[in-house]
Amino acid sequence: MVIPDMRLSLTLFLIHGFLCAAGTSTQAKEQSSLVKHLEFFERDVRPLLVTHCYECHSTHAKRVEANLLLDSRASHLRGGDSGAAIVPGDASSSLLIEALHYDSYEMPPKGKLSDEDIQTLVHWIEIGAPWPDEPAPVAHSTQDDFDLEKRKTDFWVWQPMAASDLPTVQNIEWLNNDIDLFTLSQLEQAHIKPSRDAERTAVLRRLYFDLIGLPPTADEVKAFIQNKNPQATERVVDQLLESPHFGERWGRHWLDVVRYAESRGHEFDNDTPNAFQYRDYVIRALNADIPYDQFVREHIAGDLLPNPRLHPKDKFNESILGTGFWFLGEWVHSPVDIRKDEADRFDNMIDVFSKTFLGVTVACARCHDHKYDAISTADYYSLSGFLQSSDYRQIRFESMEHNRQVAIQLADIDSTYKQQIDGLLEKRGILAPATAPKLTDDCILFNYSDLPQDSFLQDGFIFGLSPQRAGEPYLDSATGHLKISTFGAAVNDPLWNGLESITEGAFQNQSVLTKIPKSGRTLRSPTFELINGEVHCLVDGTGHIIACVDSHRLVAGPLHKQTVVRFKDGQRWVRLNLDRYVGHRLHLEFIPESNQEIAVRMAVQGLSESALATFEKRINENDHQYEEYAKIAEAILNNDTQNNSTQTETDLSTRDIISSWKGEREQLASHIVRTSRLALSMMDGTGEDDRILIRGDSAKPGQIEPRHFLTAISGDKPLPIKKGSGRLQLAELVNDPTNPLTSRVIVNRIWHHLMGRGIVPTTDDFGFLGKRPTHPRLLDHLATRFLQEGRSIKSMIKYIVLSRTYQMSSHANQREKELDPSNLLWHHYPPRRLQGEAIRDSLLTLSGHLDTTAFGPPVPIHLTSFMNGRGRPKKSGSLDGDGRRSIYISVRRNFLSPFMLAFDTPTPFSSMGRRNVSNVPAQPLILLNDPLVVELADDWSKQAAKNITGTGFDAASKRIEWMYLSAFSRYPTKQETATSLAFLSSKAADSKSFDFDDTYWSELAHALVNTKEFIFLR
Amino acid sequence: MSRRGMLSQCANGFGAVALAALHADPAFSSDSVPRTTPVQAGHGPHHKVRAKNIIFLYMDGGPSQVDTFDPKPLLDKYNGKDPGDLFKVEPTQFNNNGNLLASPWKFKQHGDSGIPVSELFPHVSQCVDELAVIRSMTSGFPEHTFANYFLHTGSALQGRPSMGAWVNYGLGSECQNLPGFVVLNGGLIPPGGLDCFGSGFLPASYQGSIFKPSGTGVANIKPHKTTPEDQRAKLDLINELDGFAEAQFGKHDSIESAIKNYELAYSMQIAVPQVMSISDEPQHIQKLYGLESEYEPTRIYAAQCLIARRMVEQGVRFIELTCPNVGHDRWDQHKNLKQGHEDNARAVDQPIAALLQDLRQRGMLDETLVVWAGEFGRTPFAQGANGRDHNQYGFTVWMAGGGVKPGIVYGATDEFGYRAIKNRLEMHDLHATMLHLLGVDHTRSTFRFSGRDMRLTDVHGHVVEDIVS
Repeated sequence: MVIPDMRLSLTLFLIHGFLCAAGTSTQAKEQSSLVKHLEFFERDVRPLLVTHCYECHSTHAKRVEANLLLDSRASHLRGGDSGAAIVPGDASSSLLIEALHYDSYEMPPKGKLSDEDIQTLVHWIEIGAPWPDEPAPVAHSTQDDFDLEKRKTDFWVWQPMAASDLPTVQNIEWLNNDIDLFTLSQLEQAHIKPSRDAERTAVLRRLYFDLIGLPPTADEVKAFIQNKNPQATERVVDQLLESPHFGERWGRHWLDVVRYAESRGHEFDNDTPNAFQYRDYVIRALNADIPYDQFVREHIAGDLLPNPRLHPKDKFNESILGTGFWFLGEWVHSPVDIRKDEADRFDNMIDVFSKTFLGVTVACARCHDHKYDAISTADYYSLSGFLQSSDYRQIRFESMEHNRQVAIQLADIDSTYKQQIDGLLEKRGILAPATAPKLTDDCILFNYSDLPQDSFLQDGFIFGLSPQRAGEPYLDSATGHLKISTFGAAVNDPLWNGLESITEGAFQNQSVLTKIPKSGRTLRSPTFELINGEVHCLVDGTGHIIACVDSHRLVAGPLHKQTVVRFKDGQRWVRLNLDRYVGHRLHLEFIPESNQEIAVRMAVQGLSESALATFEKRINENDHQYEEYAKIAEAILNNDTQNNSTQTETDLSTRDIISSWKGEREQLASHIVRTSRLALSMMDGTGEDDRILIRGDSAKPGQIEPRHFLTAISGDKPLPIKKGSGRLQLAELVNDPTNPLTSRVIVNRIWHHLMGRGIVPTTDDFGFLGKRPTHPRLLDHLATRFLQEGRSIKSMIKYIVLSRTYQMSSHANQREKELDPSNLLWHHYPPRRLQGEAIRDSLLTLSGHLDTTAFGPPVPIHLTSFMNGRGRPKKSGSLDGDGRRSIYISVRRNFLSPFMLAFDTPTPFSSMGRRNVSNVPAQPLILLNDPLVVELADDWSKQAAKNITGTGFDAASKRIEWMYLSAFSRYPTKQETATSLAFLSSKAADSKSFDFDDTYWSELAHALVNTKEFIFLR
Repeated sequence: MSRRGMLSQCANGFGAVALAALHADPAFSSDSVPRTTPVQAGHGPHHKVRAKNIIFLYMDGGPSQVDTFDPKPLLDKYNGKDPGDLFKVEPTQFNNNGNLLASPWKFKQHGDSGIPVSELFPHVSQCVDELAVIRSMTSGFPEHTFANYFLHTGSALQGRPSMGAWVNYGLGSECQNLPGFVVLNGGLIPPGGLDCFGSGFLPASYQGSIFKPSGTGVANIKPHKTTPEDQRAKLDLINELDGFAEAQFGKHDSIESAIKNYELAYSMQIAVPQVMSISDEPQHIQKLYGLESEYEPTRIYAAQCLIARRMVEQGVRFIELTCPNVGHDRWDQHKNLKQGHEDNARAVDQPIAALLQDLRQRGMLDETLVVWAGEFGRTPFAQGANGRDHNQYGFTVWMAGGGVKPGIVYGATDEFGYRAIKNRLEMHDLHATMLHLLGVDHTRSTFRFSGRDMRLTDVHGHVVEDIVS
């Protein structure tokens, strides 16, 4: 658009120049008209611009909107983010006029100008947009230009990790391991002394909560106190790292980062079916301590691994479950603007991806280059391309690896026998027709008879490894006869009938899609842009077609009914009316009805009924020669098999071939695993790059940006992607040891969870607006070590907790407090409040209610009368959540646990590697008055009575001691025992016998869980 | 330390205690707390305070502008005509667009200002001289949930802080024993759920507390299976045992704040039942609000309005009222406009009018901003035969009291009431203006999260000076 503008304005100036030079009467006339025009401009046009536009579109604007200035002619021509504002001489092509008419933009935003005013501006443009020769206004300030390379050079996080020498310290006695060198050296430089060692029991309590999120029992505490072995602590660490509860504790940390939830939020809080399979995957992966790079790879591209990791016992595909993380965001059931909805979904996915693994906020670059970091808008949309090329599905993760082998063998068998049949016919002199002329009509969206193998996509294996070709022999499932196909199509093999997919833990889903048996049974067309809403598909059989527009697929709302069409046997052309989605990108999915066969040939767009009839004729002509061939071939083949009197050589072979083919197929069929549970997973779609959206506006697509990783890390050269999305390549770049972000980010997360504050305190944002590392060398030391030692999370945890830094006391000296009030240098170990999950899980443990069952569908949330709204689950879960650990309680976005919310469990919308730690009255109100807490405390007092029986002073003291050991992992002080006894006595009628009523013990138990020591780690 | 002593030490109420804890907790780097480090909770006001409190009357589902405060005679003229012949019709959520639909209700001018109000609001129309009627509000979103998040948080996405949270973050709470942000739930929770009232990335202390307009009001306020004496004894024991905490932890503000928090919780247990006991109000006041109405939803909303006034008296900063359930649907009349709007209007009309009058007669209206708004309006054309679909392109909200020009109409929609064409406003402008009236500059009340300085108004919003008195 810019070029014609320039030309037009140049012409205008040239004419002026020429006229001026000519010096004739025409010149005078022209000049007087120019004067008139300029008068018109000054009198009518400029005031309009000043009044209505300059607040946002002038060099003096507080903030220039859309990069558009309207205070010089040149700036009108240059335009803003969306291109030139005016085309002199052509008002109807001028964006400015469009906006004034409220057609595309609605300008001015405060109200449409009067028709008269708009007409004035139209006229001004029509006469060539005259503007006096005046110096262009000078911007009072311009923002720093975005210079990615400079930002990269200037900022620490993009620099390679420094494998520096270990620092030296004076007090070498103090060191447990190398970590302490880094902390102590900084303390010594500041002349600060580290605090004393924490009590052993304090360390024990820290370790239990930090590693498994549960308290040690009274017996475990006592045994630890008695164990004087110098290795005792390390033993406990090893034992806790091996505990199955380890993954439950650290899994919850991870779920915060990936905004884990089991429903979609929004209006009806629909299910995210089988999300818990992802949760269980995380727990298992952490327990198994799989190398972090594998964990990352599985998240980004677990569906694309040539050798996926299998569950050690059940042999299902573990790796693919990792990709579920992409799809844990909010979903809208019925967005009016689907493209924008897709852009928003991608935004959340990119946001979570980049914060989780890289600790940078790439999503800040959605509308403009990052304001502070070396991340461009192009980077954002290059990542968006990976998502554009990928799809959602519910994967049959238990059967897929096994059935993949079956599918390969099946293709092998079929191809062997088909060749034999072909050979047999050839011997008889019957040859398949030469390839039919290819249909090249523009209306064809895709055609399975000549689809490139790369574009043949399906979820599952039932459509074979490639489409059926015309002239290919096959065994007819109904008759068992040999037949010859007369057209090319994607056909599902009935051998796979009877697949059963199990969905669990779902109870709020209005989607019509849930009833269609999609999993493992879906043929997916290539992605295309819809130019005409009239779409016809040529199909055989009975099943469903789903048009997936802009990857939207919830289909639970009032909209988009047009996108799901059922077709029946004999229908042939199936029409989809997709007028509403012209200009959108979409793909079609074909799903046979249960145990039905379908054949999908092609789809066309924009054909009227008559055009379709003409088109069909041509198809029939093409088919005709194959039909002729099939007739002859089938006659011979079936005649041979049926006619027993003439024993020819051919006869024998045909019959043998059929029976042995059938036999082998049946044999193989018995190996198919037909039942499988489902899980969220990604799959590759058509590989494509995304367009940069101007100012992030999905209605304003700009240039295509090829897929690549962050420019600041590996440049912006397009990745050489051979096929599909390229996510596996992306994963390798994320994992590359030279990428300075990934390892730093994960070791910092580990440090944060163990020490209460990350070395970079902003765990999800290492960027300019994040915090700088307090111990940069330590960070790189940990990250380097992590890489060198096989990226083991457990080893890193062990390394940190065995440091003296971790084992310091929480007592701080007054002097140290004054020198380093924020404890930035770690002169003491700060007390930390437990998370809501750990508080609830402790209460369950104490009460004896804890059910340690791992994994499985979420336990329904207990609904109080204050939890209302659309999508409210029909049944409330039990008050104590069946005694299961908090990680197994359902996470429904619109019905989150008030207990957890009060204790800062994050709302799942984006990465939250660092939780808030607030102090609100709802917390004491819950601990004081919530029926759950009161009842668990009561049961705890009963446990105490069971463990320490008897009455009298000694027994009562012992029981108090037991309670202290189990709740606080330490013995009570004399004073504490005395206070507790005094409380009990004050209630008892006869305080001398120390025989207290159960209710008093219950009251004491309730008081103890309300002390701060219960919810804080010392 | 005595309870009184403790309370006076944390006289800044809830927010203050929370913030004190945050500051002390080294796990919190400074980007998790207000950038302008507050001496007490909040960092405003930035300029003259016009209103101290806000009562937000949320009209769930989107009342129709052309049937309430924005009369369009042309709809009568073109009733039953195809709107596509007259103007460009955008896609709607249900896309089952019918013909232009005249309002089933008559409009009449009221008061000295002569502002027209439809007969849906016989009581509110009597207070029209108090109102600044804004006829040019717009929203970016035609779906309930997006629009609700947008109205409440300035963003269509889930999980952002609600305006009540922002207000308390900006100003702190003046209330010692009640939360600063209360949602009086009449029965309907808006689509989008409780996240409309969340604190998002702000600390949990700013979260809206959900109250029911009856009984105990709020969850866990009533001690479970205990007497007040026993509970007091238990609290004393907790206090005594917590006194030993320093020996275990050393001296830490985070622990001390958590200890103080218990006294606040205890005082809240006393304050909440007090503020809830509307039966203490004189008979004529109860009657004025509609507590004696024969229509139950009116009685529910009457209780909400009355409790709201009592909370303002206690210094609760932001009170939002959600609608009672009138049996079929919220203001979301995709069909049966007539009955649906009549029932919804009947539930809220008398209580709202009473609230305005009562605040006025007590001299409280000048410092209390009352805002009436839905998440969007409705189409001037029918959905199906007798409903209206969502319309975000132009609809009516009104404000009254605290610093607002009374008896004015601001902005206008086109002649069919479809699009705002004069003084078109965005939600961000509404938010900017509300904050402005509270003395807060919306561009300066920021919180750093996710690499950005977040605001209620994002990067948008202009104060509507024309409606500020």
